[in-house]
Amino acid sequence: MSISEGTIGELRAKGVEVKRLEREYYEIFIGPQHPGSGHMRIIVRLDGDIIVDADPDIGYVHRTMEKLSEGREWIKVTPLVERMTIIDACNVTLPYINAVEKLMDKRPSTRASYLRVLLCEINRIASHLYGFGIFGVFLGHSTAYMWGFGDREVFLELAEILTGTRLTYTYHIPGGVRRDMPQDFPQMARRAVRYMRNRMAEYEKIFLNNPVIVSRLRDVGVISKTRAAELGIVGPTLRGSGVRYDVRLNEPYEVYSELDFEVPVFEEGDALARTLVRMEEIKQSLNIIEQAVDWLEKHRDEPVIAKEDYEKLPKLHKELYEKTGRVKLLPTQISMKVPPGKAVARAEAGRGEIFYYVESDGGVMPYRVRVVTPSARNVIVFKKVVPGHRLMDLPAIYGSIDYFPPEADR
Amino acid sequence: MSLQALAEVIKERLGTLAKEVRIAKGHVEIVTEGGRLTEAARALKEMGFDHVKSVTAVDYPKEGKIRVTYHVSSYLKEDLSKYIVGLSVDVPRDNPIVETLVPLWNSAEFFEREVFEFFGVHFKGHPDLRPLLLIPELAEKRVLRKDFVVREEGIYEGVPHEYK
Amino acid sequence: MMVLETLLYIIAYPPLWQVIVIGLLGSFLTAMIAIWFERKAAARVQRRIGPYWASPRLGGFLNLVADMIRYILQEVIIPRTVDKVPFVLAPVAAFVVSIMPIAFVPLSPYEKFWPVPDMQYSLLIALAITTVPPLLAVIGGWASNNKFAVIGSLRESYVITAYELIFVIAVLSAAPTFLTLNVLHIVEAQSPFMWLAFLNPIAFLAAFLAVLMSTSAFPFEIPESEHEVVAGPYTEYSGILYALNMGGAYVRRFIYAVLISLVFLGGWAPYVPPSEGPLFAIIVPSIIVAVKALIVVLAMSFLRAVYGRYRLDQALDSAWRLVLPLALIGLGWGIALGLIM
Repeated sequence: MSISEGTIGELRAKGVEVKRLEREYYEIFIGPQHPGSGHMRIIVRLDGDIIVDADPDIGYVHRTMEKLSEGREWIKVTPLVERMTIIDACNVTLPYINAVEKLMDKRPSTRASYLRVLLCEINRIASHLYGFGIFGVFLGHSTAYMWGFGDREVFLELAEILTGTRLTYTYHIPGGVRRDMPQDFPQMARRAVRYMRNRMAEYEKIFLNNPVIVSRLRDVGVISKTRAAELGIVGPTLRGSGVRYDVRLNEPYEVYSELDFEVPVFEEGDALARTLVRMEEIKQSLNIIEQAVDWLEKHRDEPVIAKEDYEKLPKLHKELYEKTGRVKLLPTQISMKVPPGKAVARAEAGRGEIFYYVESDGGVMPYRVRVVTPSARNVIVFKKVVPGHRLMDLPAIYGSIDYFPPEADR
Repeated sequence: MSLQALAEVIKERLGTLAKEVRIAKGHVEIVTEGGRLTEAARALKEMGFDHVKSVTAVDYPKEGKIRVTYHVSSYLKEDLSKYIVGLSVDVPRDNPIVETLVPLWNSAEFFEREVFEFFGVHFKGHPDLRPLLLIPELAEKRVLRKDFVVREEGIYEGVPHEYK
Repeated sequence: MMVLETLLYIIAYPPLWQVIVIGLLGSFLTAMIAIWFERKAAARVQRRIGPYWASPRLGGFLNLVADMIRYILQEVIIPRTVDKVPFVLAPVAAFVVSIMPIAFVPLSPYEKFWPVPDMQYSLLIALAITTVPPLLAVIGGWASNNKFAVIGSLRESYVITAYELIFVIAVLSAAPTFLTLNVLHIVEAQSPFMWLAFLNPIAFLAAFLAVLMSTSAFPFEIPESEHEVVAGPYTEYSGILYALNMGGAYVRRFIYAVLISLVFLGGWAPYVPPSEGPLFAIIVPSIIVAVKALIVVLAMSFLRAVYGRYRLDQALDSAWRLVLPLALIGLGWGIALGLIM
C-alpha cells in the first residue's frame, strides 16, 4: 500500500516529515486518446500491477462556459450550459433557472413544476442507463452496454415527444416551461414505465448477479462514510457510501416535497454499492414519472408558465398556446433584466448534486455564473481513492462513479 | 432550524471572526478578513460543515478586489445539509493571496486549483497548485477576470477576402 | 524423371497438404465461422442484428471476407521506435506455429491416407507445439516498445504460466487411462461411446477453462483488455499484422478444440471409418472432428455475450487455486481409471 501525492501534502501540512523513497515507477498515460479514458487523461504510476499514484488531468473538453455566460442574455445561457452534460440536459439547467427565479422572485406554476420534474426524471433514467452502458463495456460486458444504450432510447423518445428534441431540450424558462405535454403522453409514459420495470429484472440477471461482475466490483474502490464527506463527493457515489443525502430530499425543489419516493442508500461504499444505488434510483424515478403523469392528467387547465406571465401574453401568443401547447417567448423576455443580487441553487442531477451561484448587477446579462457539476466534484476520487488498487480496477472505479468528462470540464 | 436561525447561530459562533453575516437568496453569506479565514473556516468545520461545494471567485475591477467564496455545507449533519453557507474573503486584485483551506477541507483541492488558473488567486500552502482545466499559457491570462474580453469570431472570420 | 518425381513428392507430400489444405484453409474457415457466430450470437443476445449487409442471405457471413480484404489492403505501419525484425516476424511465426499441431494429430486411422497417425508420441508433440505461440506474442509486445504493449505482454506471460500447466496436465490425464501417448490409440480406445469427457469430466472441464484462458476468451480476456492497455501486446500493430495476431487467437482456439475433441470427445467416434475409399476413410472422419471442434469453439465464443472480464489477479488466483487442483484431480482420476480398466 502506497501513499498518494495528495496524502503526503496533507501529512506535510500537519507537520509530519515525509520523504519519498527513491524508486522508479512505471508511468503510463491513460488518455486522452485511449479506449478507456474518455476525454481526459489519467497519469498513472505503477508499482508492478499496483497503482501508486493517479493524477487526473482534465480540461480536454473545457468550453469556458462560466466566461461565455457572462456575455449573453439571461435566457440564452440555458442552451449554453445544457451542452456540458448533453445526456442530462434537463437536470443541469434546472438549478440555473431556479437561481434566476430566486433573483426575480418568481414562482413557476405548479403544472410547470410537475412538467419539469417529469422531464428531469426521464432524463435521470436516460443518464443512468448511459452510465450503466459505459460501465458495462469498461468491464468487458458488451451486453450491458448494448442494453443500456438500447433502453435509453425509449426514454429519449419519451423526452422527444414531450419537448420536441432528443437531447438539448432548453425546456425551462423563468416561471415555467416552453411546451405543454401532448394529449396522449400519459399513455406512452406508462407504457415506457411498464417496459422498463420488466427490463430491470433482466439487468439484474445478466449484470448485477453475474459472478464475474460481482467479483470485479465487490470491495473495489471502497469509500467510507466519513471519507466520502471529507472528499465532498456527490450523487450515487455518495449514497453508495452510506450518506443519506439527496437534494430532492434535503432541500426539495420544484414539487419533490409532494411526491412519494425513496432515496436508496447502501452502506458498503464499494463499486458494487454505487451500481446498485443507480439501479434502485431508476426504479424510484419510474415511480415519480407515474405520479407526475397522474397529476398532470388531472390538472390540465393550468398554464405551463406563471399566472402573471400568462396574463401578459398578447392574444396571438395565447391562441398559439391554446392550440399547440407551445409558449412563444416575447422579445422582452429575451432581453429581460434581472434585479441585482446573488443566488445559489442546487439540484440532484443524474450523477449527483449540481450547484449554481448566479450574481446579477441588474443588467441584461449575468455578472457571474459559477457552476459546479457532479463530475467536477467526483474527480477527486481518482486522486484519493484509486491509488492502492490494481490497474484493472481503474476502469471499474471510473465506471462506478459514472464520471463524465464534458460535465467536469464545463 | 430556519435560515434565519442558522445565521444567528453562525454569528454567535464566529463572533469577531466574521465581518458580516447576512442572508442572501437561498444561502447565508459570511464575509471575513484575510488573516482570519482559516480560523473562521475551522469554526465552521467544528459546527459540522464538512465539505466544500464550490470555491467561487468573483472579480470586481471597480473596487479593485476579488471575492473568493467557499460554499460549504454538510453531509453528515442532516439539519445543516439543508443550507449552504458562503464563507467569503476579499483579496486585492493586484496581489491576490489566500491561505489555503485544503488541509481543513480536502474537497476544496480541485476548486482552488480552478480559481488559481482562472483568477490568478494564489493559495498559500496548497499541496499541488497547478492549472487544472486550462493549458498553462492560457491560464497566465486569468481568463475569468473581467478585463479579459471574449472576442467572438464573426461568421466570415478567417475566410479569404475573395469569397466574402 | 527423378527430378520431377521428387518435385511431385515434395508438392504432394501429405503432411504439407495437411498443414496447408486442412490446417490453413480449415482453420481460416473455422476462424471465420467462429467470429461470425460470436458476432451474431452476441448481437442476438444484445437485441441487435449484427453483420448483415454484406450478404443478407448468408446472415452477413461475407462481412468477414470484406473485413479480411480490408485488413490485407490496409497500410501496415511500422513505427520507427520498434525492433523491426521481431516485430514483423512474431505475428507471422505465431500464426504459422499455431496451425502446426494439426500436422501431428490423426484425422483418419489409416496410414495410406494419413502418414502421421501412428506416431508414438503424437500427443506430446502436439501439446509441445501449442505452447510456442504465446511466447511469440510476448516477443511481439516487447518488440513494440510501447508501455501498454509491455504491460499486455507481461499479463500474457503471467497467464501462460498459469494455464499451460493446467492444459498439459488435463490433456495428459488421457495417457494413464488408455496407457498410450498416441492420439490415434486414444481415439480408437474411446470408440464408440467411451468418451473421456464422460469418463473423466473433471479433466475435460479443466482443459476447457485452460483453453479459455490461453486464447484470452471472455471472461479471461485480460492481456488485450481494451480499457486499461488498449490492445495489449498488439497495440502497435496494424493492417495484416494485426489481423494475423487476432486471427491467430481464433486459429489457436480451433486447434485446441481439435485436440480436445480428439482426446476427450472421441474424435470421429461413433463413426468407424472403413479402410477403402478416400471419402469415407478420411473426409468424413475429419469433418466429424472439425464439427466437434467447432461446437467447442462456439461454446467458448458465446461466453462473450454473458461475461465481463476477470481481474488479472482473480484469474491467476482461480487458475492456481481452483483449476490446477482440478486438473490434478483429473489426472488422478485418469490414473485410477487406467488401473481399473
